[in-house]
Amino acid sequence: MASGYFYNPSTGQYGAQPGAAAYQATTAYYNATAAPAAAAAAYDYTAVTPTYGTYGAAARPVADTGATATYVSPYTSSTGYTAQPAYSTHTTYSQPPSGGVSMYSNSATYNKPRGGAVGRGGNMYGSGTKHYQPASKPFQSSATFNSGGASKPYNAGANTSYNKQTGTNTQTPYEKAVLTAASSYIKQKNVPGSKPGVQSPVVGGSAGAGTSGKFQSYKPQYGQNKGLGQAPRVPKPQQMHYCEVCRISCAGPQTYKEHLEGQKHKKKEAAVKAGNANNATLGQNALRCELCDVTCTGQDAYNAHIRGSKHQKVVKLHTKLGKPIPTTQPTVVNPPTPAKTTTAVSAEPKPVKKVVSTPKITFVGGTKLTTTEAGPKEVKTEQDKMDTTPAAGAGGDAKEIAPLLPKEKEIAPVGEEYLEEVKNDEGKAISFLCKLCDCRFTDPNAKEMHMKGRRHRLQYKKKVNPDLQVETKPSLRQRKVQEEKLRRQLLLEEYWRRDAEHRWREEMSHCRVYEDDRWRYGMEMEYGAQAPFPGHGGGPMPIRRGQTYDDRHIMAKHAMIYPNEKELQAVQSIVTATEKALKLISDQLAEQDAPKEEPPKEEQAEEQEEGKLQIKKDIKVETESDVEEKDDNKADEKKEEEDLKPRALKGVMRVGVLAKGLVLHGCLDVELILLCGEKPNKSLLSRVAKLLPEKLATVTEEKYEMKLSVRDAAILLASNVEPKSCVKLTLTSPLMRTSTDEPEDKQATRAKEPSDLLDKQKCQDALAALRHAKWFQARASGLQSCVIVIRILRDLCDRVPTWKSLNPWALELLCEHAISSGGNNMTPGDALRRVFEALACGVLLPGGPGLLDPCEKEPTDAAGNLQQQEREEITASAQFALRLIAFRQIYKVLGMDPLPAPRFNRKLGANTRKRKADGSAPETEEAGKKEKKEGEVMETAATTA
Amino acid sequence: MVMRGQPGNRRRGGMRMGGFRAFVPHVPFDLVLCEPQNVFPRCRPSPDETAFTQALLKRNQDLSPTAQEQASVLALITKVNQVMDNMIVAPAMFEACQIEEIRQVGSHKKGTMMAGHNVADIVALLKTLPTKEAVNALASKVLDDLKESDAAEVLNMAINESGFEIASSDATVKVLITTIPPNFKKLDPELHLEAKVMQSHLGAIRHTRWFEENAFHSSIKVLIRLSRDLRNRFQGFRPLNPWIIDLLAHYAILNNPARQPLPINVAFRRCLQLLSAGFFLPGSVGITDPCESGTQRVHTVMTLEEQDQVCFTAQTLLRVLEHGGYKQVLGFEGNSSIATEMSVWEGVVVTPSEKAYEKPEKKDGEEEDAEGEGEDDVEGEVGDDMDTVDGQ
Repeated sequence: MASGYFYNPSTGQYGAQPGAAAYQATTAYYNATAAPAAAAAAYDYTAVTPTYGTYGAAARPVADTGATATYVSPYTSSTGYTAQPAYSTHTTYSQPPSGGVSMYSNSATYNKPRGGAVGRGGNMYGSGTKHYQPASKPFQSSATFNSGGASKPYNAGANTSYNKQTGTNTQTPYEKAVLTAASSYIKQKNVPGSKPGVQSPVVGGSAGAGTSGKFQSYKPQYGQNKGLGQAPRVPKPQQMHYCEVCRISCAGPQTYKEHLEGQKHKKKEAAVKAGNANNATLGQNALRCELCDVTCTGQDAYNAHIRGSKHQKVVKLHTKLGKPIPTTQPTVVNPPTPAKTTTAVSAEPKPVKKVVSTPKITFVGGTKLTTTEAGPKEVKTEQDKMDTTPAAGAGGDAKEIAPLLPKEKEIAPVGEEYLEEVKNDEGKAISFLCKLCDCRFTDPNAKEMHMKGRRHRLQYKKKVNPDLQVETKPSLRQRKVQEEKLRRQLLLEEYWRRDAEHRWREEMSHCRVYEDDRWRYGMEMEYGAQAPFPGHGGGPMPIRRGQTYDDRHIMAKHAMIYPNEKELQAVQSIVTATEKALKLISDQLAEQDAPKEEPPKEEQAEEQEEGKLQIKKDIKVETESDVEEKDDNKADEKKEEEDLKPRALKGVMRVGVLAKGLVLHGCLDVELILLCGEKPNKSLLSRVAKLLPEKLATVTEEKYEMKLSVRDAAILLASNVEPKSCVKLTLTSPLMRTSTDEPEDKQATRAKEPSDLLDKQKCQDALAALRHAKWFQARASGLQSCVIVIRILRDLCDRVPTWKSLNPWALELLCEHAISSGGNNMTPGDALRRVFEALACGVLLPGGPGLLDPCEKEPTDAAGNLQQQEREEITASAQFALRLIAFRQIYKVLGMDPLPAPRFNRKLGANTRKRKADGSAPETEEAGKKEKKEGEVMETAATTA
Repeated sequence: MVMRGQPGNRRRGGMRMGGFRAFVPHVPFDLVLCEPQNVFPRCRPSPDETAFTQALLKRNQDLSPTAQEQASVLALITKVNQVMDNMIVAPAMFEACQIEEIRQVGSHKKGTMMAGHNVADIVALLKTLPTKEAVNALASKVLDDLKESDAAEVLNMAINESGFEIASSDATVKVLITTIPPNFKKLDPELHLEAKVMQSHLGAIRHTRWFEENAFHSSIKVLIRLSRDLRNRFQGFRPLNPWIIDLLAHYAILNNPARQPLPINVAFRRCLQLLSAGFFLPGSVGITDPCESGTQRVHTVMTLEEQDQVCFTAQTLLRVLEHGGYKQVLGFEGNSSIATEMSVWEGVVVTPSEKAYEKPEKKDGEEEDAEGEGEDDVEGEVGDDMDTVDGQ
C-alpha cells in the first residue's frame, strides 16, 4: 500500500483500535455468557470448592456490613446476573449457620466468573462449614449473624474466628462439608413447613425472639417452599452417583465414570458450556424445562414433556436425591422483554428457591463437573399457585400450564375432521389416524398437539385451506447457513483483529508523526487506512498441507527471494527517516512561504473530503483527471477566498515495489514520490535537497548519502551500511498531468510559471507509478498467490535475459489478469502455471490482445515498449517454461535445485515403475468431474426410461 | 503435478490412501473462456482476419472429397450394407457366424471424410464368437454376394486383423468385426480376433453416436478436417488420434461462454492456443472422454513424450500463425519445416520450441517416474476410425 504519508489521520486510531476491540470482545463475552451460563460456571466452581481459599480477599468489604440487604445488593446491582437463585440468602439467614454456609459457598460459586467480587465471602463460609454441625441449638438470631460483629471474623479470614462466633451456638465441627450442605437443604425444606419461627424438625433449632421479627419479613418466600416442606424426608447420606449435567444417576462409580467419559455426556457438557448460544436459534416460542434442561418448541411440547416419562424419571431422581424440584412452570427461553425482567429482579430481590446440597455425592476424579447446583432454578413468588409439590408435578395431574407465549395462543388446532379414530374390536379407540399427514399415533394427548403442529398445519394449508397462516420457521439448512455465517464472521473478525494488531505494531514502530494531521494533502486519506509496508504484512505464506510438487518449489524459491528481516528493517528505517525529514521540510517551507497563516481547520476537513473523493475514483482512470481538475479548481477557489498559498510540498507517497510489497532480497531500491502543490521546478528540488541532510540528521542517527539528479527530477538517498538500501525521491505534482488539455485562459496563467520546470516525462511517470500502486493494492494485493507469483516472476526477469525487457508494470498486469480469471484459491503452483499459459497462448503476440493499461486514459499497451522479437521470445520462453512445469521440472524455471521429495513420498519409489500395466480410469484423480459424469449417467438413464 | 492420481494397480492404490491429496486437475488458461470477464481487454483493434478466414475455407474446400468420390464410396457401402442386412434377416443362409447388427462408423458416417481417402467403415457385431475362420467365411460370403448382385464390378477383398475390407476401383469399405459384450469373456487369443481391437470397434460405435448427437454443426466438421490436415502434415501432431481431434474441435467451436459456435478463424486459432497452453499436458483437465465410463481424460492415451510433442508443435505453429504465417500453417505455401526449423516472419525470428520432457534417468528417481509412461493407454489409441490411421 502506497501509504507513505506523513500524516496519516487514522494512525492514531490504530493504536486504540486493536485494544479497544479486544476489550469489547471480552466484555461482550461476559455479558453474553455470564448471565445465562452462570449455572454452567457454577458447576466448575463448586467442583473445586476446596480451592476457594485461593480466591483473593478482594471481595468481602461490602459483605462485611453483614446486613442481608448488603449481601443481596452486590448481586442485584450486577447487571448480567439473572442467576438470582443463589441469593435466596434470606432463607439462609433465617436458618442455622450451616444453611448459610452452603448458601454462601454457592453464591461464591456464582460470583466467581465475575472476577471474585464476592469470592472471598463464599470461600470463608465454605471453609467454615467444616466446623458446623447441623444446628442442634437454636440459632441465635439473624441479627447476630448478620451484624457487623460478624464481619470481623470474616475479614480476618480465619476459620477459627468464625468458629468463635458460632461457638455461641455450641456447635461441634462437622465432618464433611458436603453433608452439611445436604442437611442445610433439608432444613431449608423443612423450615417453611413449620411456623415462621423457623425450626428445623430435624435439627430442632428454634430461632430467637429477636430473629422472628426479621423472619417475618421473609415469610412470603417460605411460602413457596411449602410444597417441598410437606414431604419431609431425611436423606441418608447414600452413595449416589449423579451426573448434574445430564441429570441422571448411575448405578455405581464405574458406570458413572464411564458416563462421564461418554460422548453423550461430553456433548451435553459442551452444550452447557456454550450456554445460551443454541437457544438463540430457537426463536421466541421456546419453553424450557429447567429440571431436565430440555428446551421445547412450544407450549404443547412442553406439556407433553412434563407428562412424559423422561421428565418423571428426572423428577423422581431429584426427589430421591433430595434436590429441589422447580415448578413445572416453564422458563421462557427468549423472553420478549428481557430488559424488563432484569430490572424487576434488581428492584426487588425476589425470593428464589435455593438449590443446593446433595447427599454425599461421589465425585469421581478426573472431571471437574459435578456440582450440587444445576442452574438457575428459580421459583417466583407470584407463581405460588403453581407451587406443586414434586410429587404433584410428577403425578401428571399438573394442570396444563397457561400459555406463556403470546404467539402460542393464536394457534388453534385445525383440521380435526381429518383425524380418524381407529377403534379396536371393543370399540375402544386405540389409535388415531391423520388423513392429512398420513400419520398415526396412539396417544390421545398427541392428537391435539398434532393438530397444532407445524407439519399438520402445513399439510392443512396445502390440501385444505391455502389461506391458513403457517409461520415459517427457519429450516435446518437455513439455520446451518446462519450458523456458518456467524462462524465465518467470527473468523473474519479474528482475522481483522490480528491484522490490525499487526499493522498497529508496525505503525507504532516507525511513525509517530502520523498522528499529526496538519499536513495538508488532499490524497492522504486515500491511503490513510493502509499499512506502510503492505505486501510484506503477508510475508512468505505459511506452508500449507497438501502442496503440490510445484507449490513446494515455488514456496522454497519464494523464501529465497523474499527479503530478510534485516533488509526489511533497513528499508523501513530509511523510508521512515526520509518521510519524517520531508515532513519537517514541508513545515519549514510552509512557514517560510506563508509565515503568518496557519491553515484553518475546516480547510483540512475539506482536503480530507477531497481525499475521499479520490478514494472513490480509485482505479477508474477516466474519472481521475476530472477529480484532479476539481482538485485544481478547488485549490484555485481557495486561493481566491482565503488568499492562502498551498504548501509547496503536499505529501510523500510510497510507490513501486515499496508500495506493492514486492521488494526482493538483495535489491533494496525503493521509490518515494514527493507531491508538490505547484508544478515542481528545479529551485524547489534544490531547496528540498539542501534541507534534507540537516532534517535527516534530526530524525535519525544513521548517515545517508544524498545525490541530486535534476534530470530525473529526483533525489537519491542511499545508506552506506549493509544491507544497502536506496531511496529515489521523485518530485511531481498532479498538475503535471492535466496541463496539456487545459482551456486557453488557464494556460495563459500557466505561462507565467518559471521556466525551470523539472522534466515533464519523469514527473508524469511518477504520477503513473502512483496510479499503478493504487491499482495494485486494489486488485493484486488481495489476490491469493498473486503477489508470490509476481515476486517469483520478477526474480525470473532479473535472471533470464529474455525476460528483462518485460517491464514490471506489464508483469503485474499480466499476473493479475491471469490469476484473477482462474477462480478462487489458486495455489502458487497453479497460479504460476496459469500465467505461463496465458503467455503461451499468445497474449503478447501481435495478434493477441496485449496488455491494456487500466491506469491510462487512452488505450495503451502496458508492454508497449516490447519489440516484436522480444514478444516472440518471451512467448517462446513461457511456452517452454509451461512444459517444464508440466513435466515436473519447475526447478529449472525457478533456477534452483530440485527439492527432495517429502518424506511420506519415499515408499512410493519402488512401485511407480509398474504403472505401465494399468489403464483403468483414475478414480481419485478427477473426483470433481465424477459428479458430472454421474449426472450424465442419470440423464441417459432417464432417456432410456 | 504429473498424474499423481493416475490409477494404480491395487497395491499402489492402497498406499496412496495414506498421505495423498486428491488430484485436482489444473484448468489451463483459455482466452475465449475468459471473455465475459474481459480479462485481457484488447489494447488495439483486432487485426483483419478476412484473408485468414478465406484461406481456411479454401483449405477446407480442398480437403473435402469431391461429389464423385463421395458417390462411389456411398455406392459401395450401400451395397455392402445391403448384403449384410440380408444375412441378419436370414441367418440360416450362412452357417459360419451370426451377425447381430451392423453399423456405419468413422469419418464417412460423421461427414468428416477427407479428399483422397475414400474409405467407409462399418462395424459388424457378431452374435457368435469371432473366430478367424468365421471372419474369413464372412468375408468371402460378402464378396460372393456382392459379385452376385453386380458381376461387372471388380472388387478386391483383403482380410486383416480387425476384419476385412472390400475395395472397388475408387472406394474402400472396411468391415470391422466385433462381438457382443458377453462374448468377450470367452475369447481365446489363439482362435479369435484380438479383444482389444474388437473393444475399439465397440468404442467406434459409441463415438459415432456421440458425434451424431453433439457435433453435427458444420463448423465442427470443417475444423476437424483442418485439424486432421495439420496432423497429416506436421509430424508433431501425429499422436493426436481422430477421436481426440473430434473432441478438441467440438470443444473449440462450442465450448465458449455464449454456447454459440465460434467463427472458424477464431476456433482454429483457439485450437492451437489451447494446445499451446498445455490443454493436453499432464495435470491439465483436458477433455473428459464422453464415451468412457469413469472420468478419463482423453489426452492421457498419449505418452508423456507425445503430449510434449503435440504441445510444442502447437506452440511453434501458433507463433508462426500470429506472426502472419497462416499460409504456411495451412499448407498453401512452404512445407512442414516451419514447425521444426527457425523461420523469419516480417523480421521476427521464430525459433521452434524444443521438447521439455525428459525420460526419467533412473529407476529410483521417484520424482520423475511418477509421470509414468503408463499413460499410454492402449484402449484409447485404437479407439477410432481405422481410416485415418493408415490412410495418410
